[in-house]
Amino acid sequence: MIHATAIIDPSAKLAADVSVGPYSVIGPEVEIGAGTTVGSNALIAKNTKIGKGNIIYSYASLGNDSQDLKYKGGEAWLHIGDHNTFREFCTINRGSGGSDITLIGDHNLFMSYTHVAHDCRVGNYVVFSNLATLAGHIQVDDYAIIGGGAVVHQFCNIGAHSFIGGAAGLGQDAMPYVIFHGVPAYPISVNLVGLRRHGFSESAIEHIRHAYRILFRRGNKLEDAREELIKMVPACPEIQLMIDAIDRSQRGIARRSRSSKEESAQ
Amino acid sequence: MIHSTAVIDESAKISPDAVIGPGVVVGAYAIIGPKVEIGEGTEIAAHAVIKKNCIIGKHNKIHSFVSLADDPQDIHYKGQESWLHIGDHNIIREFSTIHRSAKEGGITSVGDHNFIMCYAHIAHDCKIANHVVFANNATVGGHVNVSDHATLGGSALVHQNCNVGAYSFVGGASALNQDVLPYVMVHGVPAHPIAVNIVGLRRHGFSKEVIDHIRSAYRILFRRGYGLMNARAELEKMALECKELELMLEAIDKSTRGIAMTTLGVDESVED
Repeated sequence: MIHATAIIDPSAKLAADVSVGPYSVIGPEVEIGAGTTVGSNALIAKNTKIGKGNIIYSYASLGNDSQDLKYKGGEAWLHIGDHNTFREFCTINRGSGGSDITLIGDHNLFMSYTHVAHDCRVGNYVVFSNLATLAGHIQVDDYAIIGGGAVVHQFCNIGAHSFIGGAAGLGQDAMPYVIFHGVPAYPISVNLVGLRRHGFSESAIEHIRHAYRILFRRGNKLEDAREELIKMVPACPEIQLMIDAIDRSQRGIARRSRSSKEESAQ
Repeated sequence: MIHSTAVIDESAKISPDAVIGPGVVVGAYAIIGPKVEIGEGTEIAAHAVIKKNCIIGKHNKIHSFVSLADDPQDIHYKGQESWLHIGDHNIIREFSTIHRSAKEGGITSVGDHNFIMCYAHIAHDCKIANHVVFANNATVGGHVNVSDHATLGGSALVHQNCNVGAYSFVGGASALNQDVLPYVMVHGVPAHPIAVNIVGLRRHGFSKEVIDHIRSAYRILFRRGYGLMNARAELEKMALECKELELMLEAIDKSTRGIAMTTLGVDESVED
């Protein structure tokens, strides 16, 4: 059902059962899949493909221009998968053009005031708590949780099953399975609760804890820690994700900051 | 009065005494209240609200759900007639809020070529100069002055009455409660100086020689434990050779809340 006051561009393609609430505005080149609902006063600006069964709440702003000073217009896209929830006032921007698109997978939850900038790639089952803010070109892997008010620097990667604490400022990559906290964010422990909830065996969790200590608690150089981790993979294939995270990093891995080391020494 | 070349969506609501200039575009369900002037070529997207008493210049892009010139969030405000002035070529992104002054006849002002990203907030009586960047959620309290080419990082918070100097950089997730000197990068809660904003200075064409002078000034101010007034005396001598340092002297002299310095417990050996 499309409310009479909703304004929908003639080039938008909405599946038959999509519902759009009062005063929402849907711009050109927008596709919305079956079962998706759009609340009132929402904006889907343009060049956006949205899959099935998503819920878009009031005042959400999807597919608007990137906030990149280099962006000077031109075709740019946002692709959204299925069964995502976008709460009030969240903003998801399009890519910055060409092959750079903003990509959202399936079953993600974007709470109020969250922001995903241009060219980010968000996997599946990711939770963004209120005000969580991603800059451009960030990759967030499956089952990561980004806490309330957390801010992430551009070009960071956030590993699978990692947890970024509330009000953290993450400036480098978050390793898979690890909890980060603080400004700048540093690792504080393995995300045990998250791993248990997602059915990791106690043996895998023990291996991950061991890998965590090698990476963050022994004063090892990153490349030496990586060598140790490679030896652990046959016994625990889950460790491979951590090695991949080291290898793909552009900004380096968030480790103990100098000031946090001092805190722990006191 | 709406200029004949303006394109106004039929669902937008515009007060009869608003003045809409040539080529202005107003999107669906946007609301423009009384005593608002909008200059040539400015675009106002769907659902934006310009409440009242607001003069907006040319070629600005005001995105959806932006709220301009609403009442100040000041408990002393009792409905005084006050203003918001916005210059030219600004980009103001979704859900940003810029409030009017809290004083009778007072003005909150935003200059030219500023980039205000999503959810940023500029409170009553702020003076924002030109070419300033507010990243997402950057929030400044009342009476804050932000000088040219300053950058506020994502979710940075600035206490009321602070001054943010020209070419300074306030890091993401910082909480600034004193002034940032020009050219300086600050970070943390509370924000403290971590370096000279070298990337910003290079991008804006400062010579290597000037940058070296600024770095010396930075070390004198923040890394030698001289105390602010002794450091100021040193800077005064250096300013004879490098006139860019005069901005730092002026900033020290006009400060009402003091200058954000290295705080206790912060590692003194953090690199310059």
